[in-house]
Amino acid sequence: MFGRMLLAGATALALSGGAALAGDPGVSDTEIKIGDINILSGPAKFVGDGVVLGSKIAAAEINANGGINGRKIVIITEDDGYVPSRSVQALQKLISQDEIFALNGTSGSSNILAMLPIIEEEGLPTVVTTAPNSKVYSENGAPPTVFSIGPGYVTPFYAQVKYIHEHLEPANAKYGLIIQDDDFGDSIEQGYDKAVKEFGLNDAIRIRYKKGQSDFSAEVLNLREAGVNVLVSGAIFGGQASIFKEARKLDLDLQAATVWVGDMPISVKLFGPAGYPYLVADYVVAFTDPAAQAFVENAKKYVGDEALASDRYTYVTYVGLKTLAEAMRRCGQELTRACTVEQLDKMENFDAGGLMAPITFDERNKLAGTAVKIYQFDPTNSGFKTLTEFTDY
Amino acid sequence: MEFFLILVATGLVTGATYAMVAMGFAMIYKATGVVNFAQGELMMLTAYVAYSLAGSLHLSFFPLMALTIPLAMLIGLTLERLFIRPMLGEPVFAIVMVTIGLAVILRGATVLIWGTNEDLFDAGFSNDVVSIGPVPFYEVQLYTLAMLAVLVALAWGFFRYTRVGIAMRATANHQTAALLMGISTKRIYALAWALSSAIASVAGVLIASMFTIKPDLWFQGLRSFPAVILGGLDSVLGAAVGGLTIGVIENLSEGYIGQGLKEIAGFVVIVLVLMVRPYGLFGSKTIERV
Amino acid sequence: MRSGHFKERYQQLVAVSDNRAAWGWSGLLVVALLLLPLVAGTYPTQLATRVLVLAIGAVGLNLLTGTAGLISIGQAGFMAVGGYTNAILLTEAGWPVEVTLPLSGLAAAVISLVVGIPSLRLKGLYLAITTLAFAFIINHMILYADDITQGNRGIFLPKSTFLGVGLTKGPGLYYLCLALTVVMVLLALNILRSRVGRAWMALRDHDIAAKVMGVNLTVYKLYAFMVSSFYVGLSGALLSLEVRFINVDVYGLLLSIEALAMIILGGLGSVRGALLGAAFLTLLPESIRLVFDAFGSGAQQLFSNYVFQIRELLYGVVIVLVLRFEPGGLNGIWRNTKKYWSNWPLSYG
Repeated sequence: MFGRMLLAGATALALSGGAALAGDPGVSDTEIKIGDINILSGPAKFVGDGVVLGSKIAAAEINANGGINGRKIVIITEDDGYVPSRSVQALQKLISQDEIFALNGTSGSSNILAMLPIIEEEGLPTVVTTAPNSKVYSENGAPPTVFSIGPGYVTPFYAQVKYIHEHLEPANAKYGLIIQDDDFGDSIEQGYDKAVKEFGLNDAIRIRYKKGQSDFSAEVLNLREAGVNVLVSGAIFGGQASIFKEARKLDLDLQAATVWVGDMPISVKLFGPAGYPYLVADYVVAFTDPAAQAFVENAKKYVGDEALASDRYTYVTYVGLKTLAEAMRRCGQELTRACTVEQLDKMENFDAGGLMAPITFDERNKLAGTAVKIYQFDPTNSGFKTLTEFTDY
Repeated sequence: MEFFLILVATGLVTGATYAMVAMGFAMIYKATGVVNFAQGELMMLTAYVAYSLAGSLHLSFFPLMALTIPLAMLIGLTLERLFIRPMLGEPVFAIVMVTIGLAVILRGATVLIWGTNEDLFDAGFSNDVVSIGPVPFYEVQLYTLAMLAVLVALAWGFFRYTRVGIAMRATANHQTAALLMGISTKRIYALAWALSSAIASVAGVLIASMFTIKPDLWFQGLRSFPAVILGGLDSVLGAAVGGLTIGVIENLSEGYIGQGLKEIAGFVVIVLVLMVRPYGLFGSKTIERV
Repeated sequence: MRSGHFKERYQQLVAVSDNRAAWGWSGLLVVALLLLPLVAGTYPTQLATRVLVLAIGAVGLNLLTGTAGLISIGQAGFMAVGGYTNAILLTEAGWPVEVTLPLSGLAAAVISLVVGIPSLRLKGLYLAITTLAFAFIINHMILYADDITQGNRGIFLPKSTFLGVGLTKGPGLYYLCLALTVVMVLLALNILRSRVGRAWMALRDHDIAAKVMGVNLTVYKLYAFMVSSFYVGLSGALLSLEVRFINVDVYGLLLSIEALAMIILGGLGSVRGALLGAAFLTLLPESIRLVFDAFGSGAQQLFSNYVFQIRELLYGVVIVLVLRFEPGGLNGIWRNTKKYWSNWPLSYG
């Protein structure tokens, strides 16, 4: 339903609105305004912090090197506190009050979904880097001006289960899934399903829990009852720490696949001590990777020691803005939204500085950087061992 | 059988955390007739204070609490003085709303001071597993159960034998009569906040070291509502029983039914219980006269 | 100074307003609001739309909580019922907005009986927490009734029109909300002066006394739940039209707390209070932003990392301060100001 509706809209847009004249909002002789809506208050603020830093570093770097055809990038940041209706309000403000040209930074997945109708109407070039939800892909009916970087959760989980099945599978393997009962959990389940079907795995149990839950004792006990020895877990940070801790308590031997935030320093701190050599599949490099360290060194030139706070959200948003900027640069002086979208469509193998796979978009496929690297946590030195290089699945 | 035992045991541990938070709620409600919507935030704030202390002084649990509890009481007193005392004599509803405003402020302040990074809270507990029969526990989980027992005993003794405790009961029972008897209700209110804050700090430290310390720890307050309602809003000891019951029910519903039911099981239970007993299991029924 | 202000007949006492000037000014306010989209920009109109959407819900909650004394923290749950009804009827059944909007209100009203009937014996904060429990349970049911509600995937609302006016772009939705607000406010004012409204006040002030006077508590409590939930469901449906995408996050618990804050800050039991509260709380973050902007970009840069945190914190501070200095809320301030001027130069206090 939604798909058909938006596709119709999209075609109309490409024919009429898309051919917008020069003088699109947000571009003056000296600057280009880029909007950024993020979680900058409340407990999930750390995601927004990473994103904002990424935009900031990219903008500082671009501006220090002469801007985009002489125009400086100005980032206007708005907070939505992770509340979808506030994201909509913030976007309305950015569009009619600040007159932004494009959007880089779109908060969580409920939030970007709520913003899609407005993005469609405005023909706003948008780069989504932090909300992997298949509904934001144009092939599923999202507006054609929305470009996503990074795969959804389907790929990384499929990749991890495949890897475990092929290389690390314990004898008598029984697979168990534990996920949040929202769209995030759903997409993990899809990846898991795909692998289970393809390899004919023994799918012992599936458990759903509510966002914000911290106690997992009953869930882990259920895993044990089901005899699970390969755990596919959609929990993050404290939740995952709690699962591993409970598993340790019940003396479970687990091979675990986790969400990509598992490669952040904070995850290592929280659930490293449980000592499980968990896997993590990510479309950007882990913080221990040389490419990440080179990035931070380079970023220090522009933002000083603030660069040290970089995390995976910083890397990916940095790549997002650099890609957007490259498209805008190729438009030359006559910068329009339509041209930017057209140039993004033509983006081919744009180098992401080794932070992730090179970025390639085309008119049908507005999703790039989907290749994932699989790491394994090494409890002995709290580092990560690279199991596979960036691979598309 | 082992499955059942472990479910009940971990349910009791979770329930003990609800119970402690709920006791904090009940302490303030009993004395002042106000549900303190900032109770979860109070717990979070005091836990963060303890976290800073533990981080810089590396204390084990009891010395840490010996430092934290007085600080927590001071925080409770200050908040009462700044936010609640000026509202004395206003409708209860306005005061409840002030506590909602206070909750927003405390949440904001906690994030401003400590940031949003989640961290492990090291309150000096070992990570070894202790087995009692077939049931494994972490040390902190046993401490939680023990601390609940201590708090319950203290609360019982306090309300039964100490002058202040009896004065507090008198105030709860009939404010005007208590005033006429020479009890300073203002002091009783302040005391209720201080004690509630002390209980909150114990709960906060234990919960944070059982899981992690993070800025949405306050949500634990909201999740303890079923416990405090089940026990009866004005019964401190009822809150403890309510907490343990809810914890076990939650775990059993997850263990045997699943489907994320755990998170709402408590709320379903109180809706059912309140239909039969509108004042909770142990709450006192006010007899109204016209 | 205004004088000769006597109420001599019962009719005068229950009139919506005995004051011609009040009608005049209200009319003028409506005219001003009609002109708003033409005068102010797009963003102020969008903000005003949000204010109106939440105001309808606040008026409804105020009937239940302020007038009938039944405290509810279940606002988000009832709004979700309204929003989901609207979205499902629009997408699945393909019915027009003219039909789905009233049905959304009705759906919420019917569902409210599910909370209302078990809560008949409950009072005060026990009731409050039961309604909170209801909001949690609704949330859970929406997530797990996948076939009907699309579960956690959420629903996109189609582009729709109301009596031929487009609701997606331009001020169409604003005018719809304005019209509905005017209608619902008039309705509320008239309910309040009817037997029903007086019965609610009686059961708020003393339920046993009310019962003795012949007010059927059961019936009127359920009326209160249903009427209030109709408003709240309608508000939820309008929110779904405004955001155009709904899932459980759109109807988060925050809405309950904010709605409660609106009516308490605005003034319990008064329609004007609910309207003032809704406007005040929705515009508060914007006002704080303006203050920050006034400090110039230098100040903004200085605490750029904290600015949103501080805004969040100030929100709480303002709530506390208003209640501290005027427990009657904004309506109290309004009344005092009015009294001051109408008694001028002999005003006191």
